Amino acid sequence: MDPKAKFNLPPPFDEALRCHEREIMRFILRATGDREDALEVFQETWLRAYRAYGELDSAEGLRPWLFRIASNLCLNRKRDRARRARRVADIEANGEVAAVIPLHEQALDLKAMLRRLPHKQQQALIMRKLGGLEYREIATALGCSEEAARAGVYLAMKKLKAE
Amino acid sequence: MERKLETYLQDRPDIPDEVIERLLREARPMLTSALDRLRRPLIQVAICDSPLGQLFAAKSAQGLVALRFMESDPVENTMQTLRQRFDVIEDEQLADEITGDIESLMRGDPAAVEARAVDLSLVESAFQRRALMRLRRVPAGSVISYQALAAALGKPTAQRAIGNTVASNPVPIYVPCHRVIRSDGSLGNYGGGPERKLQLLRAEGFLVDRTRRLPRDAVYGHLGSRIFCRPTCNAVRRAERRTWLIFADAQRAARFGMRACRLCHPA
Repeated sequence: MDPKAKFNLPPPFDEALRCHEREIMRFILRATGDREDALEVFQETWLRAYRAYGELDSAEGLRPWLFRIASNLCLNRKRDRARRARRVADIEANGEVAAVIPLHEQALDLKAMLRRLPHKQQQALIMRKLGGLEYREIATALGCSEEAARAGVYLAMKKLKAE
Repeated sequence: MERKLETYLQDRPDIPDEVIERLLREARPMLTSALDRLRRPLIQVAICDSPLGQLFAAKSAQGLVALRFMESDPVENTMQTLRQRFDVIEDEQLADEITGDIESLMRGDPAAVEARAVDLSLVESAFQRRALMRLRRVPAGSVISYQALAAALGKPTAQRAIGNTVASNPVPIYVPCHRVIRSDGSLGNYGGGPERKLQLLRAEGFLVDRTRRLPRDAVYGHLGSRIFCRPTCNAVRRAERRTWLIFADAQRAARFGMRACRLCHPA
């Protein structure tokens, strides 16, 4: 055994937070498309990550793992939204609508298009094209094979182009 | 459209950095206070190349939490247990500290090992913690039997419980579980292997031979009266076995604050 054997521990949590908070926030904001939702999902993501940090067993796994948590929470949020929207559609109509961050026109366009994509394709696309993750990392994050990740991005691109 | 979309996606992140920064500034205080409520204690871990082989060590702010002989105990398991309860970071300096402590112990100077605080938060029961803390007071160069340790804790029949406690000692060497032997004078087992137990005891001046019986000039110190005797003394034979601490030689017993028996004149 290597006398200076290393543990391959993930970095201290605060360092992980410092390194990845930006890209995670960007990812969440893009996936939820809403400022308040993004704030909540962001908080929840890091709290969950902290609680489960002891189970993450390698340093390389950190990034896709964080994206996976964020991605799952975004999906939950989307589901909740849909459910709530169905139930209290009229309240929302005259109640306050969550403030949408000011983006320029192109971005708004993209946002709307992204939102219409199926969850997995959307997440894969955001991670790949806007987050710059490797397909390997996306596969880990989404819990699918590398090929499926690749296919997801491809299909998403195809749909976007079609629009 | 196709070309545009492709380049757009690749070259122009649509959310300006200021927006992200602004959101983060808003999110951070909330997150920090929520995290502070969940925080686990911090520990440092290291692998030490000690004279006793590779050791895995973990230390909290309170003291040494765990020490493992790496060849007999896979680190992964320990690490998993630790990471459930602590935030773990690597620390090279800890390796040097522990190696230094053990090197001086093996040269016959137990001061550093004795001085280092231990944190028994991995030990579940209060009785076990009490037993281990009591065991820490058994000085280098002496041994105690499972039974004697049980008696010293006021539970003279709890030698089995003591056996379990000592066997699951999270911080061997620092909590000197190698100084616990069987009542018949044989050395018994050890987490790092009986050879290591022998090695440690010999380094502390307790010169056990290969047959793993007590050394020839060992004396029995009575915990109650603080008198020490030769093993053949009538007093030893009469008194119950469980109340004795066995020293490598008379000097050590004297140094521990015991006086020689006036019947058998040890030393």
